[in-house]
Amino acid sequence: MINNNIKDMAKTIMFVEDSESVREAVKFTLEKAGYNVILGTDGSDALKYLENPDIDLVLTDLYMPNMDGIGLIKEIRKSKNHKHVPILFLTTETHKHKKIEAREAGATGWIVKPFVPEKLITTIRKVLR
Amino acid sequence: MNDHFQEKFIEEAKELVSGLEEALLLLEDNPDDTKHIEEVFRVMHTLKGSGAMFGMNEISEFTHNLESLYVFVKEQQIPVTKQLLDLTLDSVDHIKVLLSQKIDKGTLSNGLELSGKILQHIKNAGIEVLQDSESSDILPDKVREQDKIIDQQKSVATFYILFKPGKEILRDGTNPLYLLDELSTMGSTYIFRHSDNVPTFRKIDPALCYTFWEILMATGNVIDDIHDVFLFVEDVSTIEILKIADCNILDNSDFIRKAESLFVEGEAMSKAILKNISEELIVLPGKLQSKPVDKAVIPVSETGKKDNHKKENITIKQQPEAYENRGISSIRVSSDKIDNLMNNISELVIVQARLSLLADKMNQPDLSQISESVEKLSRQLRDNVFNISLVPVKNLVARYKRLVRDLSKELGKEIDFFTEGTETALDKNIIESLTDPLLHIFRNSIDHGIEDIETREKIGKPEKGKITLKAYYSGSEVHIAVEDDGGGIDINKIKEKAVNKGIIKAGASPGEKEILNLIFLPGFSTASKVTGVSGRGVGMDVVMRKIKDIRGNVEIDTEVGKGTTITIKLPLTLSIIDGLLVSVADSLYVLPISVVDKIFPVKHKELQDSFNNIIVLDGGQILFIYLRSEFVIGGEAPVYEQVVVVRHGEQKVGLVVDAVIREYQAVLKPVGSHYKDQDFFSGATILGDGSIALILDTNRIVSKFTNDNQ
Repeated sequence: MINNNIKDMAKTIMFVEDSESVREAVKFTLEKAGYNVILGTDGSDALKYLENPDIDLVLTDLYMPNMDGIGLIKEIRKSKNHKHVPILFLTTETHKHKKIEAREAGATGWIVKPFVPEKLITTIRKVLR
Repeated sequence: MNDHFQEKFIEEAKELVSGLEEALLLLEDNPDDTKHIEEVFRVMHTLKGSGAMFGMNEISEFTHNLESLYVFVKEQQIPVTKQLLDLTLDSVDHIKVLLSQKIDKGTLSNGLELSGKILQHIKNAGIEVLQDSESSDILPDKVREQDKIIDQQKSVATFYILFKPGKEILRDGTNPLYLLDELSTMGSTYIFRHSDNVPTFRKIDPALCYTFWEILMATGNVIDDIHDVFLFVEDVSTIEILKIADCNILDNSDFIRKAESLFVEGEAMSKAILKNISEELIVLPGKLQSKPVDKAVIPVSETGKKDNHKKENITIKQQPEAYENRGISSIRVSSDKIDNLMNNISELVIVQARLSLLADKMNQPDLSQISESVEKLSRQLRDNVFNISLVPVKNLVARYKRLVRDLSKELGKEIDFFTEGTETALDKNIIESLTDPLLHIFRNSIDHGIEDIETREKIGKPEKGKITLKAYYSGSEVHIAVEDDGGGIDINKIKEKAVNKGIIKAGASPGEKEILNLIFLPGFSTASKVTGVSGRGVGMDVVMRKIKDIRGNVEIDTEVGKGTTITIKLPLTLSIIDGLLVSVADSLYVLPISVVDKIFPVKHKELQDSFNNIIVLDGGQILFIYLRSEFVIGGEAPVYEQVVVVRHGEQKVGLVVDAVIREYQAVLKPVGSHYKDQDFFSGATILGDGSIALILDTNRIVSKFTNDNQ
């Protein structure tokens, strides 16, 4: 299905995740829904994209090597360009405390893992539209 | 999820598991090293999450327990012992078997046994294990979902919702208006806005939220669904939700009138009184029967953006079981009818533009409201009809498959044909215009791209060549790529030829891209021999011209010995674009909004004094094109001009105009044949007052300008 609103399509999402297959699958899903996708392999890798002013939403995993999702969220909130960008993180039901931690670090919302592509897109639209 | 991704996951999971083994062995040597524990935990976490995503539930369910175990290890509630590591290594072996996908009864019972041991291990540490909900949750969830659906058709209720967002809510990227939008997709809403607290312009801090809302909503959804809307903001906002009637009381004008009288700016209304009013009004049971929500009469806010998927579900469920499969899910309509519909909509959009102009002029709130609704509706109608006229690229595939087969046979080559993303959809008119250009590209690939069997063998390539047709969305464009693993294009050869033909000077050293683009010049062919299939140099220039005709572009990527990819970049649709209305002197122009990046006001003097048409904007140097002089429009320029920065491939270029007027839905009309040689405009559009604006083809303007300047 393609997005109804043509203007939506140019929105750019940065997806940060250490698993290559998840990265690719989510990229596929997001691109299919009409978004531009920037991929980061972990928190510190993602930092280099923060100079890019064209990020409309950040989607990040929490458990990653080098810099985890919480660290990344904090960095984004400190950054010049993306102080107020919506950030969604991926979490599992078993990590409720992580949810609080990420929220306190400045995340906008979360997506519960494991997720199905449709659900991912609905949640993203909820924040982005 | 696609099989391709599952394969990829399995591959990656195998790597992860071997890393996990290594980490476990290291952990055995240094049981206190938290780094290794973290690593082990992270791998399990990934296996669990990704496993479920790629449909490998056995893996995710099994790792779930293991992950729980390591949560406690991480929190130092369970020590790292030999027993723990043995158990984990056994589990890792089990995961390996699961990954091999050779699962039999033995594997499953082994898995259950291991899971039991893991849970026991947690229990032994004196930790209460909550009943594993992950796997058992799946069924009840579905049941609940169905319950909801049944509920929805059973009863519509009216809710009062107070939504008082925390002041800081905008800081983390939340837009409260989207939440209101989402509410209105759930039913009909009546929204009261409290905006008195918004300070004056001088004092306002734009990063703070000063407004709050009260919403009356009639919906078939349950209270939990409403809470779900506020899921992300609940802890930073005040949310109160109260059911005030078991039916759609918003239908009742008395109720609305009374509710309105309760409204006091800045103060939440009394829920008790509200409820009272509603109860008073529902005196006669049955008089206010619940109706399907969609028919509710007060569409104060837009209810159009429904979640289609959800709605489908509901309608299906409402049908009696026996009829479930009889509904017609799609009908065939001749494409002429859709073209007609599209034309009607184009006309509608033009009429609507006149209406909004009139409404602006008359300055009557009632009329403005109607005009705004018409605008919204026509936009939705436009998008919906666009979707109808989209055709998947798949429709093109069969003929090229055949072409590859026949042509490769004729040329004595062996070629496999693959496709990717063929469900990507495009306007049917674009698809039709693509046939010939693609044919040329395919012919080129088969004839010149892919080497013959002997050559391929000699250079160690697989005997069979490979051509892939890929289609995908990229922003507001669709890209269609033809990729071959043939010999690639030799840039030096092109250059040599260009020099021979006198197109470039012998000493010049243009960039790779520029050399490649020479292929698109009329009469340029590099094939050493002309065959019956292609190589007469009447290919790529025609391809480029045809693609440009539909506002697209063609790009070439190539590597000698590896292959060539030719990518056609296309707009999603041909007939209506979202544009930005700008003016230069008395003339109006429309720029496609999809290419607009940013707009800056700049002093005329600054532009005048600039060197080489370059100014510094936003910390970067930007080349600008001064439309007033490019279009040879005389007159005095305003003191401040607007630089509209547009994207052109990787590049950003500023177009200087006098003023930016507003966003504008432009219906593309062809300009007459007098202008057929005019490259800068992709068409014209009629504005609300009957005047005409030309639609700028920024790609051509920018490339023309940059070429001229070289």
